[in-house]
Amino acid sequence: MAERNKRKNLHPQEVSRLKEEQVKVVIGCQDQIQHWKKVQSDYEALQQRLSTLPDKLSYDVMVPFGPLAFMPGKLVHTNEVTVLLGDNWFAKCSAKQASNLVEHRKKHVQTALDDLYKVVKNFEARVGFTEDLEKQSSEKGDFVDIIEEVENEEILTKGKQRTAHKPYSRPKIQDVFEGGEGDPKAKSGILSEEELWARLDELEMEEELLDQKDRISYSTDTNGDDTTSSSSEEEKEHPSGNLPCLHGEEGWPPVTREDSRLITCQVNGNGQRHSDDEDDEGSCVPTIYFTHTVEPKRVRINTGKNTTLKFSERKEEAKRKRKNSNGNGHSVPGLAKIKTPADLYRLFVDVVNGELVPRKSILKSRSREDSVCSDTSESSDDRRGFCRNLSHDESTHSDTSEGVLHEEENSPSKPLPLPGVFEAFSGTVVEKDPTLPSLIPHLTIVSPALPTIPERKAEEVVPQLQKEPCKRVSKFKAARMQQI
Amino acid sequence: MLRVSEHEAQLTENNIVKEELHLLVSQNLVYKLIGSVLVKQDLEEAKGTVGKRLENINGEIKQYETQMKEMEKRSERHREVLAGLQHEYQKSQGKVPVKV
Repeated sequence: MAERNKRKNLHPQEVSRLKEEQVKVVIGCQDQIQHWKKVQSDYEALQQRLSTLPDKLSYDVMVPFGPLAFMPGKLVHTNEVTVLLGDNWFAKCSAKQASNLVEHRKKHVQTALDDLYKVVKNFEARVGFTEDLEKQSSEKGDFVDIIEEVENEEILTKGKQRTAHKPYSRPKIQDVFEGGEGDPKAKSGILSEEELWARLDELEMEEELLDQKDRISYSTDTNGDDTTSSSSEEEKEHPSGNLPCLHGEEGWPPVTREDSRLITCQVNGNGQRHSDDEDDEGSCVPTIYFTHTVEPKRVRINTGKNTTLKFSERKEEAKRKRKNSNGNGHSVPGLAKIKTPADLYRLFVDVVNGELVPRKSILKSRSREDSVCSDTSESSDDRRGFCRNLSHDESTHSDTSEGVLHEEENSPSKPLPLPGVFEAFSGTVVEKDPTLPSLIPHLTIVSPALPTIPERKAEEVVPQLQKEPCKRVSKFKAARMQQI
Repeated sequence: MLRVSEHEAQLTENNIVKEELHLLVSQNLVYKLIGSVLVKQDLEEAKGTVGKRLENINGEIKQYETQMKEMEKRSERHREVLAGLQHEYQKSQGKVPVKV
């Protein structure tokens, strides 16, 4: 830290020095620009004079005699001009020719001016950059250093460390074999042998440790994200398991997850920041120290068609643990070993009424029998709470809140018909409910725009009111049943 | 280096003179200032003279550049020698305190 402070203290001096030099250059350039501009204006005046000079044959003028006296005189041969070409060369030419020469010189002046303007622009930009650098190194600016201190020194890599990269991994055979040459050499040979055995023991221990680490971290490598703590790895591992279903929306969960982490980190960091500011008075840049925290976060994933899945890592983990306790024994509880596509179907099941119900594909329309939304039955409580929070904010087109609101309002008025509408869940996936249509028109009033929404309303109504898992029937089927 | 910059200034000036001479017609009288006397010159002669002057200047500039390179090489060698000497001095200094 002291070194960092030292480094920061040096910077302002250097930066100010750099800025000085650049400002000097800019000033010099601007002086030159002024000079050339003057020259340009002189040439223009000269051109004007040359144009008017041949108008008269002779002019009456006051001729200067030395620095203090003038003499009345005449200007003759008004068309003959002697021009200094440079380097002690003169040329006598007419006024027009002279003005041509002047024009030619003006071009040179203009090019010089343009170059100077470019230089000034460049250096002004450079000055701006050094100013920013100065601000950065001082406390005045808005720049903040975000530093994450990695306490866990174990670097997680794929696979084991290469034996070639390990120091002293190759036993020093040479010394051992050369043991018989001389006394000092023999001694060193014996010593190296003992060292060898000790070294081998160490390496064995290291390998065992690495093996354990690799076993733990194997599944996290599939995600490809950076992880700093083992607990956060486990949390991350669940979304990686869900990838096949939600692959298209990969951008969403990582973003929200990272946001949640960032939020929590910033909260931690802000608290830490104050302490850091108090601690290092010598530090020039306010720093935020943050660490990744374990925050199981619910993630809303947009699967299109105005439907969103709510993914709760905690729920997934709970489900998995339950499944593991019921079913076979995994070597590490909580981890999903998906090796074949069939494993997916085994893994992603809804636990409904204590029985395992395989989930339907999300590609299929949600207006069909069973909903694809995860955790509909289990996380209904959570969703209700979540929806309640949104109810005040969202517009009519939001899926959950509006219908929820309406349903809640209407539920006290119509408590009786609803319980009778839905039959108790029998564990089968598809069932037709003839009494559902009584509810459907009511639902359509709520949000007629989207056909899929009523289903969700129906789904959500049930858990809200009854807190029971119920089967869902599409309104079209229900209408058909009604007709029949 | 100063000489190089001087020569470069002369170079640009002579270039301008050459261009302006091209703009002139033979009817124009060209004079050269020798001391405090303006000596009449032929236009073509003047062009030739200015051209030769330009070549001279270019040659001189090249010579100066080669000289500068040589000087730089010499200075590099000296610097290396100096660095080596300093290194040895530091070594000897390092050894002496340890011994004591």
